[in-house]
Amino acid sequence: MLGGFFLVKQMSENKIVELAKEQALVLDCGKSLKSIKTAYTTYGKLNATKDNAILICHALTGDQYVASKHPITKKEGWWSYIVGPEKPIDTNKFFVVCPNVIGGCMGSTGPKEVNSETGKEYGTDFPVITIADMVRAQKLLIDYLGIEKIFCVTGGSMGGMLVLEWLSKFPKMVHSAIPIATATNHSAQNIALNELARQSIMADPNWNSGNYYNSDNKPLKGLSVARMAAHISYLSKDALHSKFGRNLQDKNSLDYSFDADFQIESYLRHQGFTFVDRFDANSYLYITRAMDYFDVSSSNNGSLIESFKNTSSKVLCISFTSDWLYPTSENKKIVKVFNALGINVSFIEIETDGGHDSFLLEEPKLFEAMQGFIKSTYENL
Amino acid sequence: MSLINEKKDFKIIADLIPTKSSVIDVGCNDGSLLEFLKEEKDIDGRGMEIDQQKVQLCLSKGISVIEGDADLDLYDYPDNLFDYSILTYTLQATKSPKNVLSELVRISSKAIISFPNFGHWKIATSLLLKRKMPISEKLSYSWHETPNLHFCTINDFIDLCDEVGIRIEKQANLKTNKLNKFNGKNLLNSYFNEVGLFLVSKIKN
Repeated sequence: MLGGFFLVKQMSENKIVELAKEQALVLDCGKSLKSIKTAYTTYGKLNATKDNAILICHALTGDQYVASKHPITKKEGWWSYIVGPEKPIDTNKFFVVCPNVIGGCMGSTGPKEVNSETGKEYGTDFPVITIADMVRAQKLLIDYLGIEKIFCVTGGSMGGMLVLEWLSKFPKMVHSAIPIATATNHSAQNIALNELARQSIMADPNWNSGNYYNSDNKPLKGLSVARMAAHISYLSKDALHSKFGRNLQDKNSLDYSFDADFQIESYLRHQGFTFVDRFDANSYLYITRAMDYFDVSSSNNGSLIESFKNTSSKVLCISFTSDWLYPTSENKKIVKVFNALGINVSFIEIETDGGHDSFLLEEPKLFEAMQGFIKSTYENL
Repeated sequence: MSLINEKKDFKIIADLIPTKSSVIDVGCNDGSLLEFLKEEKDIDGRGMEIDQQKVQLCLSKGISVIEGDADLDLYDYPDNLFDYSILTYTLQATKSPKNVLSELVRISSKAIISFPNFGHWKIATSLLLKRKMPISEKLSYSWHETPNLHFCTINDFIDLCDEVGIRIEKQANLKTNKLNKFNGKNLLNSYFNEVGLFLVSKIKN
């Protein structure tokens, strides 16, 4: 009972803070944003020495509900397996912060929020943002929370890109980091898949050049197809095969029609339909663009060595054998650069057929690696 | 199974390494040698280990470890990154001992290498008299299940070092726990040491 009560007390309600009120944040595109709203959750308590903060960076379609019930889907937080009491990111011990990125659609400044200058939703008037811009906005939040040095920054996929950006741009603020299933830049294949998703959104007549917020007709079909395409890239061939094979959906023979004959079709359609309830099509355009533009070395003429030369954090890189979206080779590239710089880097490749999405699954080896690294690193602080 | 005799080998290896050196232990097992060297010599240590269960153990001990393969992943390190590299009882299990040796002396100023000596008299006698592949404390696998690919004797190792331009600086006698200056091949050494343990470095051009 007491434990349960304690847990509830530690669980965070969604908070929204407005930052950069005086001085606008200058973005990579040259434009600037003022009065940036960041929606975030926190778990646990910041200790007196403020050395127990963990920043969690979410992926493309993630949000701040990392370990609490999602207000729309009513599902458990997306990383409840990893974040919570006695878990690798132990909320009894650590102060966990998880902000929704700018450009997102769960309360942080983004295309669906109202532009105070015009009184209307931004839509596609929202400036094109980058991963670095997201990190700049996160830094405003960390400053606001009074944290000078974050104990650990972690995240998978796009979250991993944010981690790398933190390590490169604010190295003195990061004690340790766990980038998971990520890359130092987007490959042509990554960009191609994102372009496919964007084109499907923009091909939906309801998208209406991004002006649909006050319409009854939203680009749900386009967004749904975008999600379906992306979802395929998150899974491995073996996982799809063992889960669905060529099994038929609620029928014994082919229909000779374009209905969802196969289970995999039905599954993907379901993924698409449910996604549109919680995500904004314009946000999808902006965030995928930020990922495509991402190259952590771009401000250093493409030199990864230059980009991380001031990094002294302890780092654990994690990849998954069946991840073809951000494969082990891309993650090893990070390890190679960190090794060359003498950074305290560890690396583990987890064998699984779960594909890219493995970091979101209940993967015991991920649990063990994160717990071992975080615990020992905090003990040796 | 760990071939290493923690008390003896660890102590001798620690004796070879100056305080605060940077060290990579290739095939670092559960990280106990790195921990020992941290304790004794305050080294800045890194590990490489192929077995994921052991990588997990290292992580839980706070050791920086790369899950990797000595045959494939040493190429990722720049020249002279470390003061010392260590390879204990792993050389005989690599696909290319020659390349691994060359890589070790490339990425570090000095390398410490140990391996089971196939020239030891017990092994030689087993082959000679019993006509059976030898099984001993240091070589405990049957021939059909051994992970060891390339057995060598102490004299073979000395020849290989010659061939790839590696200077042997010191040789350990694990019976007497002494480090000796290397004075070239010595038949008695090859007969009576179960283990070869050497400090080597690259001959500079």
